[in-house]
Amino acid sequence: MIHYYFIFSPNEALIASQLGPKEFGMYMAQGSKKGAAEQLMFSEISGGFGDHFDWAYAEENCINHSDGRPKHSLYLSIYRVLEHIPLDAFMMTYLVTKDGRTLSLDQEKYSSPANWTGFALYKELCPVPPLIVSSLQPKELGQHIVGGSAKKITVPALIFTDIQVIDFEDMENSGNVGRMYDRNLDHLKECIASLESGKGKKTKTVDRSFNSKFSYQIIDNGIYVVKGEEIIFFRMPSHEVLRETAYDWARSANIF
Amino acid sequence: MIGLVIIAAIAALAFAAINFYGMKRKDPGNEEMQTIAEAIQEGAGAFLRLEYSIIAKVVVLIAVILLVVVSWTGAVSFVIGALMSASAGWIGMNIATISNVRVSNEARTTRSIGKTLRVAFQGGSVMGLCVGGFALLGLVIVYLVFGVLMKQATPEHLVFHKNWLGISDIPFTMTVSSYALGCSIIAMFNRVGGGIYTKAADMGADLVGKTEAGIPEDDPRNPATIADNVGDNVGDVAGLGSDLLESYVGALVSATILAAYTYFANQHADILITTSLISKLIYLPLIIAAVGLISSMVGILFLLVKKVSKDPHKELNMATFVGAGLTIISSGVAVYLTLKGENVAAIGFNLGALSPWVCAVLGIVSGIVIGQLAEYYTSYDYKPTQKIAASSQEGAALTITQGMSVGMISVIAPVLILGICIIAANSVAGLYGVAMAAIGMLSFVTVTVSVDTYGPIADNAGGISEMAKLHPEVREITDELDAVGNTTAAIGKGFAIGSAALAALSLFASYLYAQAGESASNGIELILNMVNTLTLVGALVGAALPYLFSGILIEAVANAARKMVQEVRRQFKADPGIIQGTSKPDYKTCISISSAGALKEMKFPALLSVATPLVTGFLFGAEFVGGLLIGTTLSSIMLALYTANAGGAWDNGKKYIEHGHFGGKGSDAHKAAVVGDTVGDPLKDTVGPSLDILIKIMSIISLISVSIFSKYNLFSFLFK
Repeated sequence: MIHYYFIFSPNEALIASQLGPKEFGMYMAQGSKKGAAEQLMFSEISGGFGDHFDWAYAEENCINHSDGRPKHSLYLSIYRVLEHIPLDAFMMTYLVTKDGRTLSLDQEKYSSPANWTGFALYKELCPVPPLIVSSLQPKELGQHIVGGSAKKITVPALIFTDIQVIDFEDMENSGNVGRMYDRNLDHLKECIASLESGKGKKTKTVDRSFNSKFSYQIIDNGIYVVKGEEIIFFRMPSHEVLRETAYDWARSANIF
Repeated sequence: MIGLVIIAAIAALAFAAINFYGMKRKDPGNEEMQTIAEAIQEGAGAFLRLEYSIIAKVVVLIAVILLVVVSWTGAVSFVIGALMSASAGWIGMNIATISNVRVSNEARTTRSIGKTLRVAFQGGSVMGLCVGGFALLGLVIVYLVFGVLMKQATPEHLVFHKNWLGISDIPFTMTVSSYALGCSIIAMFNRVGGGIYTKAADMGADLVGKTEAGIPEDDPRNPATIADNVGDNVGDVAGLGSDLLESYVGALVSATILAAYTYFANQHADILITTSLISKLIYLPLIIAAVGLISSMVGILFLLVKKVSKDPHKELNMATFVGAGLTIISSGVAVYLTLKGENVAAIGFNLGALSPWVCAVLGIVSGIVIGQLAEYYTSYDYKPTQKIAASSQEGAALTITQGMSVGMISVIAPVLILGICIIAANSVAGLYGVAMAAIGMLSFVTVTVSVDTYGPIADNAGGISEMAKLHPEVREITDELDAVGNTTAAIGKGFAIGSAALAALSLFASYLYAQAGESASNGIELILNMVNTLTLVGALVGAALPYLFSGILIEAVANAARKMVQEVRRQFKADPGIIQGTSKPDYKTCISISSAGALKEMKFPALLSVATPLVTGFLFGAEFVGGLLIGTTLSSIMLALYTANAGGAWDNGKKYIEHGHFGGKGSDAHKAAVVGDTVGDPLKDTVGPSLDILIKIMSIISLISVSIFSKYNLFSFLFK
């Protein structure tokens, strides 16, 4: 059976594979010979849509090796992938830790964040990776960037996540948030203050390339995918749910 | 009164046996848990067997030397001491590897922290009871056979005898010193070997598994994880047990020896000291040890039978305080009953019959205060460790700097406590009082070792729970118990250093008596002349020695850890299935690397500690060695406190961050704190504990051999 995996972080790629999602995540994170150790995020998508990707090539070449081993990866595209995938092709999303453990996120109907405080930190994941702060809620932010109202700052489709905001006055009790707030906190505070004043822009870039500081510990509600007017949402499980159902993954992700 | 001592020793060992077999009967859990536990047990057993086979050769060699140069009674006592210490270490290590999986299973089946704590403590109590029981049993045998049957301890035999080499000594002091030396030799090898083993495995597991591959602590995919758990048993259990047994024996023996020399010196200086009083002073250490042992048993029983709350630290403290409190009361009664009616004022006891008890209480209180100070400097509940965590936000260099600062600052307070204790004890009952303070500090060693051993058992239980992928609630219970174990370990180290300092001082006073030899009968002043260049240079060399010793140990750990790192990297590269969880790592090769590294590297530092006083004694004589002992003792106390506290603070600084402070796991602060913890690992678990033994083993070796090298040394031969 061929699975189609769309890796959206750290780089875009559409890959056909005979591995199941967990095996694929392990293979991509750890490799087979390179000795690599890399965190990555991907979604499984249903293949066969449109004519941008060469599905026939995948069917023909994603087959067992001569010794019977399954084909691990067959790259179908590594450039401008997201914009060619319709939202209804998205199935599950997977978060893979550096040591290859995989957490699956279910798709849910989008609803406004219950914990909305007037602004949010967003980490854009694909196709561009900045950290931004915005007074827009996730759906509005996505439509703002994808829909073109952000003028020159626009992309055809966008994957992003919202980030936990901690109490900046009590850094000692930050919780397990990793490297997120290690540097340039003053700049972040200025960006937030500028938004809260209501006089400036609706979004401000905090950091142009934020990948090295991003960790699963700081995902707040979940991961959003926006294209056109539509949005789909993959909810991040609560700590209680992770503790019961994905404890080992959460330990590898430094959540516990 | 000797009957009480025999009963106490036998009762302790019987209690240990009951707890041992009671533990064995408990359910060891599912197949996965048992497989992991068997691998740990096998690795620990194999290492200790290899280690003991090396030690056996050294023991035979030293026994032969003692037989030829000192006396056959010394040789036999030495072997008894070695056997007692080795037995305690062996049984303790065995019960720890039996208990770990049962503790894990108790958490799995009950999900109760209180019940799990009780099982872990029951396992730890076997080690504690063996330390108290075996130490006292061996001493009783030595006292009965050589002291009573051969009459070495009778007052009329407390005089200098010349052996066939023309070397004179008081036989009973040589016999009990040799017993202490037997304990010291085992302690030195167990501590050094176990310390190198445990830290090589720990650092190897962390540096590649956690840092490079990003896999969590105790993950079964890490090839070094079983070796790491084996290390907890051979280092923190067997090493710690024989270390504290040696301290305990050292304190008891130093008081006995001082009593014998005091009697000899005072008797010939025409000071009225009755034979009845001297007998009592010689037996008093054993009596206090016996009532302390019984009190400790009550403290242990208290925790094992009561309903245990959800606060493990409070429960463990309660067991310790019950043991300590009962020891204070019972030793007061015992001392009073023993010395009432005696003319103790004649030998400088300024508070009457209760003078030795007052000194013992001073020791107990000092020990508790030093333990609390160690907790203050190393627990993340307090500012010093929190400051290290905060410094980690600015990078690894400041983590190291702040940790060094905390470690150095932490030295002064316990030293002042020790100083006050020594001056007060000396004012109350002279040097004998100082020895009693050391005994007081260690009189409830059975309960403190039980608490200390509980730590590595809980640590191992956490490892097994993790490797067997037990429910998160189970892992959280064992993790919490492990965290408490880290604090109790820091407190235990404070006790070990404090008691080592007091015991070394008492042994040093005995050394001066022995150096004076028969001239002590003229009422000689015990003076160490620092203007004497031999003594001064001895002190200088002695002060440098702990640095050489520590440097060798750290290098030994680094050498073994380097090999472990290379092996773990090799396994990950050779078989990607390991990290993918589809194939099992080769745990045995990692265990072999730690074993081989520890066995190879332990020999030189252990022999250095034995050979230095002998070689320098035969080259430069007793005055040089006197300086050497002072220098080594002072320098070791400072360095041991510094390394133990700095290492503990670095470790808990990292844990503070992992509990969600300054960014928590994965933050830059955490990365810096991991560096600090790794630097501190060999300091707190290899160097610090080994320094305690260094000062005592050198004191005992010097005490035994001073009469020989006073007579035969190169310096005298050339210049006098």
